[in-house]
Amino acid sequence: MHVLVVEDDERVASHVVKGLKAEGWLVDHVSDGREALFRVASETYDVIVLDRMLPNVDGLKILQTMRATGDSTPVLILSALGDVDNRVKGLRAGGDDYLAKPFAFSELLARVEVLSRRKGVVQETTELSLADLSMNLLTRTVTRSGTPIELTTREFGLLEYLLRNAGRVVSRSMLLEAVWDYNFDPQTNIIDQHVSRLRQKIDKDFDPPLVQTVRGAGYSLRA
Amino acid sequence: MTWRHPFRSLTLRLTLVYMVLFSASVGLMLGVSYLGGVLRPLQAVESQISRESEALLGVYASQGRDGLIRALNQRVAGHKGRYPYHVLVAPDGAVVAANLYDWPAARGPEWLRYEFGTYATGAEEEHETVVRDLALSGGYRLLVGLDTEDLDEREDLIMEALSWGAGMSLALGVIGGLVMTFAVSQRLESINRAARAVIAGDLSGRVALRGSGDDFDQLAATLNEMLARIEGLVASISRVSDSIAHELRTPLTRLRAELEELAGEEDPADVRARAGAALEEAGRLQSMFEALLRIARLQSGPTPAGTRVDLSALLDDAAELHRPAAEDRGQALSSDVPAGLQVEGDRDLIFQMVSNLLDNGIKFGMEGGWVDLTARSVEGAVVVEVTDDGSGIAEDERERVFERFYRARGAEAAGFGLGLSLVAAAAERHRAELRLEDAKPGLRVVIRFPAA
Repeated sequence: MHVLVVEDDERVASHVVKGLKAEGWLVDHVSDGREALFRVASETYDVIVLDRMLPNVDGLKILQTMRATGDSTPVLILSALGDVDNRVKGLRAGGDDYLAKPFAFSELLARVEVLSRRKGVVQETTELSLADLSMNLLTRTVTRSGTPIELTTREFGLLEYLLRNAGRVVSRSMLLEAVWDYNFDPQTNIIDQHVSRLRQKIDKDFDPPLVQTVRGAGYSLRA
Repeated sequence: MTWRHPFRSLTLRLTLVYMVLFSASVGLMLGVSYLGGVLRPLQAVESQISRESEALLGVYASQGRDGLIRALNQRVAGHKGRYPYHVLVAPDGAVVAANLYDWPAARGPEWLRYEFGTYATGAEEEHETVVRDLALSGGYRLLVGLDTEDLDEREDLIMEALSWGAGMSLALGVIGGLVMTFAVSQRLESINRAARAVIAGDLSGRVALRGSGDDFDQLAATLNEMLARIEGLVASISRVSDSIAHELRTPLTRLRAELEELAGEEDPADVRARAGAALEEAGRLQSMFEALLRIARLQSGPTPAGTRVDLSALLDDAAELHRPAAEDRGQALSSDVPAGLQVEGDRDLIFQMVSNLLDNGIKFGMEGGWVDLTARSVEGAVVVEVTDDGSGIAEDERERVFERFYRARGAEAAGFGLGLSLVAAAAERHRAELRLEDAKPGLRVVIRFPAA
């Protein structure tokens, strides 16, 4: 997987580049807006991590140029302007996700990995599964080892998101965003309580446990 | 204002202007009396002389020299009012008739006005006259005049008054100006002193009021109000930064401890555990900063154009999100929200507000008790209430709990103390009214959104 990191702060950039490389990504890094435009036009990336404030060309301008030329590469906007208005502006300009600085690398990684999946052909699946857990999106039923499991609408949503991103780490705010459609950093353990209820239903009576807690980062569904 | 530059002083300049105006008005008044008391009567005298001299010329033409002398003598004998003067000089220079004591030897201008003295009573008597100097046919010269000593005296009087008046008004102006400048400069100096004290760092400095309620007192009162507001703001800023420093100490100390122990760990599993713990501390710090930044931005940024938010759905979502947390404490989280409530605003922000309030309700409510979320429409406004059955917040703390880092009594160990600050900032941004009430027992938080 190929990622372009457009970030002018050397410290932040090297942290992100190093981290992504350690996770097995092929990483290009540019620190200048004009160069970013050139790279975006000449290479194909799976994901672009784009800082908003850049020398020469503003991040949003790059994004708008990309979208205007039909480039639909998923873009994660990175910005110190982590306020609601800026988020909305970034997403309106064609961004796929938004992350406010300062951020935890785990959060960035989780979002980049989720975005990289979007680039691929959106398969119209009706069935999601991991190990002996399977979910039917049409009948909205879940079974584990053939045993039907009753889930509430939210639990179903949670599990669907985890399944679609199986093997990847998803953060609490990503879950809140994807399942509840609200964007803020839940500083309490409200999401944990929902996950623990889901766990009760899909993991308690089965082996091995699928829902993993990733300390300091979030959750991951793994066999 | 200082005495070192008196001519830069506004008050002194004003005084000078007043002084000039005052002198000018004295001059104008005296000028008017000069016109009425001297110039006009002089004109009347001249026209009388004209009339009389024309008559005398007529007499000379018809009766000759001797007739004219008779007429002149009659004029003196029968005069009423001003004393008439005359001089008749023969072509050879001999004085034919005269009751004037002095006149120019040769003819000059036709009209003359001059003074002369008489010694009839032994002492010098001053006289002034206006005279018409005429040439008669046959080489005779006739001077006809009237006494104008009264007008001369009046003129002297007015001139004297003018010089005294001008001098006095200048003197009074200077004295008054200095006194006024001094008085004003004293008032300004007291304001200046207070301002300098504030500049020097003493924010408690205030301008002394004289109690007269005059313009200076009003200015001083306004300045004092401004200073009080500044002092309050500075105090709250320093309180917040004190709190930030204080609040940072604990997590930073813990973070440092984790890292120090991490440096000594050998076992990879222990290293991972320590690193995870350190990351969690860093995450907490980061969350705290994000919350602080968010509050600051909400308080300072411009109000963005909101969108229509389906509040009913939002409140249902919030109740649903928090229900597991309530259930874990054995609490019943009930929500009574009619469908179709709408407000203008920022959906994520309103959700976070309600979420913070529910979180508090669950945290501070009785274990096994209840938390209520209700909403209703009141005269177009939408009122949202979150009520718990905990120990509530004492009345004297209800304002303070909105301050950053302030934790109510009995909640010292819970959270950052930023939740309600964010709720307050978000409410203000939505122009919503935020109120804490005693739910007996427990706390009721009331948010009243303005009519959309």
